[in-house]
Amino acid sequence: MPATDYQGSSVPFASLGRSILSIRRDQVHSMDGHDPSTEQELESFQRRVSDLFADLSSSPDQILSLAWIRKLLEGFLVSLEEFRVILFNHRAAVTRPPLDRMVSDFFERAVKALDLCNAVRDGVGQVCQWNKHVEIVVQSLASWCEVDESGAKKTRPFGEGQLRRGKKTLMDLNFLIMDEKESASASHRNRSFGRSKDPHKSSSSSPSHLSSGVHFRSLSWSVSRTWSAARQLQNIAANLNAPRGHDVTATAGLAMPVYTISTVLVFTMWALVAAVPCQDRGLQIHFSIPRNGFVWSPALLSLHEKIVEESKRKDRRNANGLMKEIYQIEKSSHQLLELLDGVEMPMGEEKENQLKNSVQELENVCEILKGGLEPLERQIREVFHRIVRSRTEGLDSLSHGNE
Amino acid sequence: MAENGEDKLIATVQHIIKTLGSTDSMTEDILKVFSNYDGRLSLDKLHGKRDAAGGGGGGGGGGSSEEQQHVPITSFERTLRTLDRQVTQVINQERLIWSESEAAEGFLEAVDDLIATIKDLEAAPHGNNQPLLDRADDLLQRCMFRLEREFKSLIERPDDAAPAAPSRPTGFDSDESDEYEYDEDIEDARIPIARPVTDYDVVIDALPPGSVSDLHKIARRMVAAGFGRECAETYVVARKGFLEESVARLGLRPRTAEEVKSAPWDELELDIARWIPAFNMVFKILIPSERRLCDRLFDGLLPYGDMAFAGASRPPALQLLSFADAVAAASRTPERLFRVVDMYESARDLLPELETIFSDEYSCALRNEVATVCSAVGSSIKGIFMELENLIRRDPVRVSVPVHGGGLHPITRYVMNYLRAACGSRQTLEEVMEGGEFGPMSVGPVDPDRPTSSLAIHIAWIMDVLQKNLDAKSEVYREPALSCVFLMNNGKYILQKVKDSELGVLLGEEWSKQMNSKVRRWTREYHRVWAKIISVLQINDGGVRPEKLRVFNNYLEENCKTQAEWLIADEQMRLDLRMSIMDSVVPAYRTFLSRLKAISDCRDVYVKFTPEDVEAWIGELFQGTEKR
Repeated sequence: MPATDYQGSSVPFASLGRSILSIRRDQVHSMDGHDPSTEQELESFQRRVSDLFADLSSSPDQILSLAWIRKLLEGFLVSLEEFRVILFNHRAAVTRPPLDRMVSDFFERAVKALDLCNAVRDGVGQVCQWNKHVEIVVQSLASWCEVDESGAKKTRPFGEGQLRRGKKTLMDLNFLIMDEKESASASHRNRSFGRSKDPHKSSSSSPSHLSSGVHFRSLSWSVSRTWSAARQLQNIAANLNAPRGHDVTATAGLAMPVYTISTVLVFTMWALVAAVPCQDRGLQIHFSIPRNGFVWSPALLSLHEKIVEESKRKDRRNANGLMKEIYQIEKSSHQLLELLDGVEMPMGEEKENQLKNSVQELENVCEILKGGLEPLERQIREVFHRIVRSRTEGLDSLSHGNE
Repeated sequence: MAENGEDKLIATVQHIIKTLGSTDSMTEDILKVFSNYDGRLSLDKLHGKRDAAGGGGGGGGGGSSEEQQHVPITSFERTLRTLDRQVTQVINQERLIWSESEAAEGFLEAVDDLIATIKDLEAAPHGNNQPLLDRADDLLQRCMFRLEREFKSLIERPDDAAPAAPSRPTGFDSDESDEYEYDEDIEDARIPIARPVTDYDVVIDALPPGSVSDLHKIARRMVAAGFGRECAETYVVARKGFLEESVARLGLRPRTAEEVKSAPWDELELDIARWIPAFNMVFKILIPSERRLCDRLFDGLLPYGDMAFAGASRPPALQLLSFADAVAAASRTPERLFRVVDMYESARDLLPELETIFSDEYSCALRNEVATVCSAVGSSIKGIFMELENLIRRDPVRVSVPVHGGGLHPITRYVMNYLRAACGSRQTLEEVMEGGEFGPMSVGPVDPDRPTSSLAIHIAWIMDVLQKNLDAKSEVYREPALSCVFLMNNGKYILQKVKDSELGVLLGEEWSKQMNSKVRRWTREYHRVWAKIISVLQINDGGVRPEKLRVFNNYLEENCKTQAEWLIADEQMRLDLRMSIMDSVVPAYRTFLSRLKAISDCRDVYVKFTPEDVEAWIGELFQGTEKR
């Protein structure tokens, strides 16, 4: 998909951004009362978020798929933009307590999300790496299935060499995935360059998949070895409580969108960590959302429950990430490897069909990932930059309150 | 008959072969001996008969209709057998094939033959050479695995390879060995990273030329056999250690955005100071060297060289960029400006070079990433500038003790010196002000007489904010005259800093004119305090009376004492001001005294101060002496 598809939402705001600045210069500090337009505005924000979560819940089997994650991020970006508009429209109110504290509290949370964005992006890079191996597997096994010169589909039986190639690549892939699991769960990570410090000492006879596994060790480039995604998530979610009645009245209702966007932020980051491999994953955070307090809370809570359930499933408990496609890669590649292990040449028709189906499955996932991972990575970057930008703007307008 | 006799001979030979040849390869040898010995015993015939006699090997299992295809298939089979024997032996050896250059050459030739054979087999018009094709393919896979391993080892441990043979066989590689010209000096310094580097026009050759050409040969085979992706992946894996280590030597530690945000500035400043050369090392030396290596190893093997390059460069590139990203997201206190400008300039200056290095479809994402980070740093510079404005605005107006004597306020000194220094990066600042997502700042109607660049407008805006802040601060002084002195001092300082600097160019002449007239206005306002004193001596107001002298004396004494504590920082301004006070006071005083003396009943009036005394008093004004 083109890079612009998720940026679309930001286009109208580019001009808004300009006006935010120019109007700020005019020092117009309109005192906002409880005008009906404010009410409408806040309501529409709640509805927007509610629509997002309704949409995300609409097809339960798609939850945690790559497309779903992208939809979530897009929704987050749109919500963030609307939140920016609200802050701008009420810039005078934002500088007064207790709203000022709430807004700066949100930006504090948002900064913590930046490192999660980086870690998750590394994880997406990891999945890209796996997918390159999947591509090789598919390429070596699928090409054997359909050699055609005249356009007609001609099937050639699997050759032994082909199978061997597929098997070797699958084993390399498994090592990569296992390695990620190990390094992701290791409590003490040893980010060591020493592994390659004395190359003469390492055995030259180790099979290539073994040595490659070691070298692929997925230590993130952007976070230090003691960093933990689980802890970071907890930090972001800490002390996030729904505003109490007097806070809502004291802020003319503006406490609501602040709480809402904070919750969307926490949920988005939490779901990303759930879906994508990253350093020290862990999903234990406390969501204290009143079930009927907001139009969006039932949908969000049920998504939360579903994802938690998914993470507790026996076959997923050890997963690198709950992204559907990762699971499919793991599953299909295991299956394929097992099939290949049991193959005896010449291969029976049934076996051959099984093999072809398995390759086809892998190919399907591979295609999805090939088309979706890069846009996902760009989106994660976009989230990073948008958070930075709105925080700058937000803090800027907060600081103008002390004049 | 002759025919009969030949049959018999062949049958006998076949018998001998059967009895002697216990393995396939031995059989092959013997067949070779025989076929050389006697033309009649051609390999085809012997093979054909042997297979027909039921001694066929593993690949022979065809149907009954293969009679006419015997000739080509057996020829292929024979080649395969030879290759199998040749290759299997090499593949099974533990030590590096490339530790011995002749073995390596032999192995490559065998692989070439194998690839050619497979091509021929595929092109052969017979439908039933599948079993042979399978065998060949299987053999090819095994060769490729081994080549992959050799490829990896040669990259990771090039020293283990045999030194290039002095006289190379004039085989397939004779054409390419001339292409590489290596600079011996560079080659010796494999990792010239620990030394301070000022000239980034350096390329590292991480691998000796012999290895490069060996690796290229392997890559060619792997690509020819359809293993290009594996080869590129192997490259990425094998180079990872070297690249990680190179970056690690640059002394950068991974820092989270949160760490960067909360780090004390002096620590972060140090990190940035380390980052800039590291960034240049990585993007100007390490990555271009990687590009060169890939271009050589994968010469003519597109797109695998690009794949390998993109895969290998990504981690070091992203590591460097993530720090810049974090700095761009961190706090925007004004003192950070200069370091962050340095960061921005490093990234910006790099972009054109990256156009060529990251030009292919696999690595162009990295170029975009650098551009993105560059613009993020750019907009943070803009943010830092805005923060300066906030800092001025927030500077508290009411402090317990205002600046003594109406002197220069620290904020004026800070802002003016800051802006002067910032003008040193004028080009860059204008660039980031003009660009960016928010577009140029619009600060109300732009005065047409002012320079109209975004930076100029922004600086003018900052000056306005500063002046407003100073105006407010001036009101803290109880005496209006002292407020004026305060404004005059700070105004004069501002004018001095603007004069003869880039600031003056940016703010324009008109601005300076206006500022000058403001200072004159404050000076006029200041003079009111003296006008009041002089008014006591006014003659037409009720005539000349001795009481007036007393009032004047009191005023003068009081004011001179107070104003001696006031401060005019600029010497010329101080002298000028004293002079103008004298010019207005002393003549009036003299006139008054002479008039007073002219009145008879006042002749004995005690004159406390002579005009010279008054001059002396005034001469001591504005020294800023503190009360004891």
